[in-house]
Amino acid sequence: MLHLSILLWLPALFGLLGLLVPARHVRWVGVLGAVLALAFSIVLVLDFEPHGSAFQHVTDTTWISALGVRYQLAVTGLNVWLVLLTTVGFAFSSLWIATTSLGTDPRAKHVILHLGIAQTAVLGALLAQDLILFVAFFDLMLIPFFFLTAQFGNGTNEERVRATIKMIVYTLVGSLLMLVAAIAVGVLATPDGQAVSYNIQEIAQRGVPEGSQGWLFACFAAAFLVKMPAFPIHGWLADGYKAMPLPILAVFSGVLSKVAVYGFLQIALPILPQGTADLRWVVLILAVLSILYASSLALTTFNARLVLAYSSVAQLGFITLGVMSLRPDGASGALLQSVNHGVAVFGAFLAVAILGRRTGGSEDLRDMGGAATKMPVFAVLFIVVTYAVLAMPGTANFVGEFLILRGAWEGTAQGLAIVASLGVALAAVYALRLFIRGSHNRVAAKVEPREGTRPELALMAIPVVLIAALAFHPQQTVKAADDATTRAVQRAAIVVGPDHVRKILEADPSARNIAPEPFADVPPSAGTVRPIGGARTTGPASQSDPATDPNTGRAVGVDPSTGQATTPSGGAAGSTVQVDPSTGQTVDPSTGQPVEPPSAQTEGAGR
Amino acid sequence: MSPAEAAWIVLLLPLLGSVVLGLGFRVWRGAQAGIIGTASVGLAFVFTLVSLISLLGRKEEGTRQITSSLYEYVNVGGVKVELSILVDPLSLVMLMVVTGVSTLIHLYSLAYMRGDNGYTRFFSYLNFFVFSMLVLVLAGNFVLLIVGWGLVGAASYMLISFWYRRNTATTAGIKAFVINVVGDIGLVLGVILLLRHTGTVDFLEAFHGAKETFGEHGNGSLTAGLLLVMVGAFAKSAQLPFHTWLPDAMEGPTPVSSLIHAATMVTAGVYLIARLHPFMELSQTAQTVGMVVGCLTLLVAGTIGLVQTDLKRVIAYSTMSQIGYMIMGVSAGAYFASMFHLATHAFFKALLFMAAGSVIAAMASEQNLDKMGGFKKAMPFTYGAFVIGGLALSGIPPFSGFFSKDEILSVIGEQGGAYWLLYVAGYAGAFLTAVYTWRMIFRAFWGPPVEQAKELEGGHLYHAPDHRNPATGELEDTEVGFPGPEHHIAERAPAMKLAMGTLALLAILGGLLGIPKVLTPLEKFLEPTFEAGLAGHAVHPGNGIIIVGLVIGTIVGAAGIYVAYLIWGKPLSQGQPATTHSSKWQAKFAPVHRFFLNKWYFDELIDYAIVRPVRWFGRFAHDTFERLVVGGAIVGGTSGAVRGASALVRRLQSGYMRAYSAVVLSGLAVLLVYFLTQS
Repeated sequence: MLHLSILLWLPALFGLLGLLVPARHVRWVGVLGAVLALAFSIVLVLDFEPHGSAFQHVTDTTWISALGVRYQLAVTGLNVWLVLLTTVGFAFSSLWIATTSLGTDPRAKHVILHLGIAQTAVLGALLAQDLILFVAFFDLMLIPFFFLTAQFGNGTNEERVRATIKMIVYTLVGSLLMLVAAIAVGVLATPDGQAVSYNIQEIAQRGVPEGSQGWLFACFAAAFLVKMPAFPIHGWLADGYKAMPLPILAVFSGVLSKVAVYGFLQIALPILPQGTADLRWVVLILAVLSILYASSLALTTFNARLVLAYSSVAQLGFITLGVMSLRPDGASGALLQSVNHGVAVFGAFLAVAILGRRTGGSEDLRDMGGAATKMPVFAVLFIVVTYAVLAMPGTANFVGEFLILRGAWEGTAQGLAIVASLGVALAAVYALRLFIRGSHNRVAAKVEPREGTRPELALMAIPVVLIAALAFHPQQTVKAADDATTRAVQRAAIVVGPDHVRKILEADPSARNIAPEPFADVPPSAGTVRPIGGARTTGPASQSDPATDPNTGRAVGVDPSTGQATTPSGGAAGSTVQVDPSTGQTVDPSTGQPVEPPSAQTEGAGR
Repeated sequence: MSPAEAAWIVLLLPLLGSVVLGLGFRVWRGAQAGIIGTASVGLAFVFTLVSLISLLGRKEEGTRQITSSLYEYVNVGGVKVELSILVDPLSLVMLMVVTGVSTLIHLYSLAYMRGDNGYTRFFSYLNFFVFSMLVLVLAGNFVLLIVGWGLVGAASYMLISFWYRRNTATTAGIKAFVINVVGDIGLVLGVILLLRHTGTVDFLEAFHGAKETFGEHGNGSLTAGLLLVMVGAFAKSAQLPFHTWLPDAMEGPTPVSSLIHAATMVTAGVYLIARLHPFMELSQTAQTVGMVVGCLTLLVAGTIGLVQTDLKRVIAYSTMSQIGYMIMGVSAGAYFASMFHLATHAFFKALLFMAAGSVIAAMASEQNLDKMGGFKKAMPFTYGAFVIGGLALSGIPPFSGFFSKDEILSVIGEQGGAYWLLYVAGYAGAFLTAVYTWRMIFRAFWGPPVEQAKELEGGHLYHAPDHRNPATGELEDTEVGFPGPEHHIAERAPAMKLAMGTLALLAILGGLLGIPKVLTPLEKFLEPTFEAGLAGHAVHPGNGIIIVGLVIGTIVGAAGIYVAYLIWGKPLSQGQPATTHSSKWQAKFAPVHRFFLNKWYFDELIDYAIVRPVRWFGRFAHDTFERLVVGGAIVGGTSGAVRGASALVRRLQSGYMRAYSAVVLSGLAVLLVYFLTQS
C-alpha cells in the first residue's frame, strides 16, 4: 500500500523547498524532487496488478463535506502509465533545465516552483477520482505555464504577452465550461433525498439524465479539445509554442495534452455514455480533420518547433480517434500512443534545441542543414526519435497506431480509418523533412556543426533508451490498460448499440465479463449474434456462442446469486471454461486443450 | 540444433554486427569495420545452412513448418501478437538467398567502399538492413511481418540517402520512404481487415482455417483485404503505379542498389504474395489484379529501360520488369517458378550491379552511358561478369534466367484462355529485356574506347579533376565519403573478384535448382509450404508447353540480342560518328522515344495529382486559413475578452494573483446563476 498523497505533493513540496536554497543550487532541488517522484511512480507501475482491482492504492477522505467533494486518489489501469510518463517528463525537463541558462537564472527559483506546482497539478488530475478534484487540478495545471511563458519565454515582451493571453483565453473558456458541467453532472445525477457525490464512479452508476448528457458532453469535450488542441480550436498553439522555453515546452507538449485524452476516458465516456454516443461523430470528425489539417501545416512550416507542434496536433487526433472508437483496442492503443508520443516529443524538442544552438539560435529549417557529419552520435539519436515520431513499424508507436486504426476501422467507419491513415504517410513526410533539413543536405551558412556535448547527448539518450524499451516489449505498457479501457468504454459502447458490442466481443471475448457494466448483461440482438472469431461456424446455432448459457442467454461467469460479474482473473482460477481469443474455441484453462462445448458442460461452469 | 534455434541466431547476428559497429564507430575504423560487418552476415549464412540441414533431417510429414515464439509482443483488446518466427521451406529459401547474396555483397563492399569516409557507417547500415530483411522473411505473423516491412524501408532510406550531402540523395530517400509508407498503410489496413475474420494474426493458424473462414471461393472482405495487402507488396516491389522511387533509389552506393534494390528487399512483395497463397487462391480478383499489374509493370519498365542513359537506372528498370514477372507468376499460382526466378534473379542482377559498379568506378563515378564505351579490353573480368549476367537476364540457355523465366511463363500459358495474353506479353517483355541488356553491354564495353578506358588500358585508373553529382552536374561536397580519392574496380580488388566470380558461377549454374521435369530440387523442397492445407491448386505445365516455351524463349532472347547488336553493337565504318545507328532509330520513333525517356510521365502525374495539391493546401492553411479563420474569426469573436484579459495579464506579469481570483470568482458567479435557475 503506497500513499498516493506523498507522490502527489512531493513535487510541489520540493518546489517550495527550493525557495530556501540559494538560487545557484535550486535547480538540483528541482531535479531531486522530480527524480524522487519518478522513483515513486516506477514502484507504482511495478506494483500495479493489471487484472486486479479497478482502483488500487486508494486514498479517500472528506474534503469539502458541505458540497460532497472528497479527496479521492487512486491508481487505475488508465492512469498508471500516464503517471509514469508525467514523472519521466518532469524529471527530463528539470534535468534539461539544470543544464541550460534557465537553471542558473537569478529567477531560477520561480522556474523550479512553477514546475513543481505544475507536476503536482498534472499528477492530481490523473489520480483524482473525484470530479471536482479533477477539475481543480486540471485548471491548476496550466497556471504555472502561463507564468513560465510570460516570464521566461522567447521573443519580445509583447509576443510573450500575446501568446500568454491567447492561451489563457482559450483554456479559460474551456475550463469554465467544464467546471459548470462538472457541478451540473454531480447535481443532476443525485437521486432525490440523497447526498451529492462527485465520485466519478458513483456518478456513472447513478446515471445522468439522458436529456442533459448532450450539452454536458459538449462542455467537457470543449475543455479537452482546447487543451489538446484539436482543429479548429488550436488558435493558441502557434504563438504559445513559439513563446515557451523549450525545456518547458517539451513537458507541456508531451504530458499536458495527454491529460485531455485521459479526461475523455476517465470522465466523459463513463459518466456521459448517451452524450458520448450522440456526439462522438462530431469529435471523430474533428479528430480526423486535426490529423489532416495539422499534418499539412507541419509539411509547410519552416519553424522547427511548429513542425513538432502541428505533429502533436495530428498525433492527438489519432489518439482521440482511438478513444472515440469506443472499443478496448482503440482506447488501449490511444493510451499506449499517449505514452509513446510523450517520450518521442521529449527527444524531438531536445533535438530542436541542440540544433538551434548550432545555428546561432535560429529554429528556422532553412538555416539548418548538414550538421550530421560533425555530430554523428547526435544524428543517430535524432533519427531514432524521428522514427518514433513517424510511428515506424518496430517502434511501440506503430503498435499504438495499429491498435488505434483497428479500433477506428471496426468501431467507427472504415472510410474514416482510411482517411485517418493518410496522416501516417504525411507524418513520414514531415518527420523526415525535419530530420533531413536539420542534419542532412549541404552545410547551411549559419551552421557551426559540433558534436553534442556530454550533457546534451546524455539527455538525448534518455528518450532514445525509452523508445527502445517501449519498442521491444509494448505489452508491458498496454497490459495495464486492457481491463481499464474496457471499463472506460463499456457504458458508451452499450449505448451505441448491440452491433457495436457484438463487434467488440467478436474481437475480444475476454472483454465480456468486466465489471461494472459487463457486456454480458446486454441482451444480444436476436439472430444477429455471429460466432466468435468471424464467420467460422463450429457447431449448431445454440452453441455458436460458447460463453453464453444457452438456456438463459446470460453469460457464464456471472454469479447467478448476486448478478455480479466475476472478473476474468477470478474466473480463471476456478473451473470456468475460457474462450481462446485467437481461435474462438472453448479452452479448458487447466490444460490449455480445446474442449468441445457440449451445452451441459458450459452450463455447469462458473456456478 | 533445431531449425528454429538456428534461425534465431541467424536473426541475431546481423543485428549484433550493426550495433557493435554503430556503437564502436570510433574504434572500428578502416578494414576492421568491413570485416566485422561481413563476418556477421557470413556467420548468419552458416547458421542458415545449419537450419536448412536440420530441417532437411525432418522427414515426417508436417514437421517442416515450425513456429517459434520468444515472448508476447502485444496482447490487448483481442489483438494477440507473439514475437514469433516461422521456419518453413519458403522462409528458408528466402533466408538462403538473403544471407548468401548479402555475404557476397558485403565482401564486394569491403573493397568497393574502401575509399569512403563513412565506411563504418556503411557496414552498420548494411548489417541493419540484413537484420530487417530477416525479420521480414522469418516473421511468424502479420504484425511482425509489417515490422520487418517497415524496418527494411527505414534501412533502405538510410542507405539511399547515404551520401546525404547530395540534395538528390536526400530527395530520393524521402521519396522512397514515403511511397513505402503508403504501402505499409495498405498492408496495415489489409491486415486489420483480414484479422476481423481470421481472429488471429499468426500465419499458420490463419491459413489453416482459410477455407472455413472465407468460404470455398473467398468473399468480398478477403478480396478487399488482399488488395490492400497487395498495395504494400506493389510499393515495396516497385510495381505500377508505386514504382517511381526505385530508379531514384539508384542515388545510393552501388552495393546498396545491388543488395537492396535488386536482389532482396524489392522481392519482398513476391515473398508476401507467396506467403499468403492460401488466401490468394481463394480470391480470383486478387490473383487477376496481381497478374495484370505484374504484366503491365514488366512491359512499361522494359520500354523505359530501352532509352535511359544512366547505367544504374537501366538496371533498376530491368529489376522492376523482372519483379513484374515474379508478381505475375506468383499471382497466377506459379509459386515454385516465381521463387525460383526470385533466386536466380538475385544472383544475376546482383552480379550486373556489381559489374556496373566496377565500370562506374573506372569512370570516376560517371554513370552516363553516352560517355562510356570500349571498356572490353581494359576491364576483361568486369566485361565477362557483365556478359554472364546479361546472358542470364536475357534468358539464353543454359544460364539460370532461361529456366526460371520460362517456367513462370509456361505455368501461365498452361492455363489457357485469357492467360495467353499474359503469356505473349511475357515473351514480348523478354525481347525488350534482351535488347536493353545488350544495349548496355554494347555501349559500355564495345566500340572505340573512351578516354577513361584508354587510361585504364595504360595501367592507370582515371580520376576526375573535380567530382560532380552525376544527376545534376552540381559540384560534390566530398566531406561525406564517396566519391573520395580512391576508386575500386574488380580487376584490381580480389574481394570484388571473389564476390563477382561466385555470383557469376551461381548465375550460370542456378538453373540446376529447377530444370523442368528433369531436376527439381527447389520444387520438392518447397512443397510442404505450398501443399499444406491446399487442394493442390498449383498448376503443373505439360511437357509440350515446356518445350515450346524453352524454344520460344531462346529465339526471343537471341533475337533481342541481335537487334541490340544491329543498333548499338555493329562496328562502324571508318569516319562514322559513334551514335549513327541508334540516332537513326531515335529519329524514326521520336515521339515514342520521348515518351519512354520521360518514363511514361508517371512522376509528373504523381506530382500534379498528389504532391502539388498537398503543398498548395499546406500553404493555403498557413497563409489564409490560420490567419483569417483560426486566428481571425475564432479569436476575433472573443477579441473583447482578449482585451479584457490582457489587462489581467499585465497584472499577472507583475506577480499578482488578483487576476486569477477574479476569474475564479466570475466562474463561480456563473455557477451560482445556473443553480439558482435550476432550483
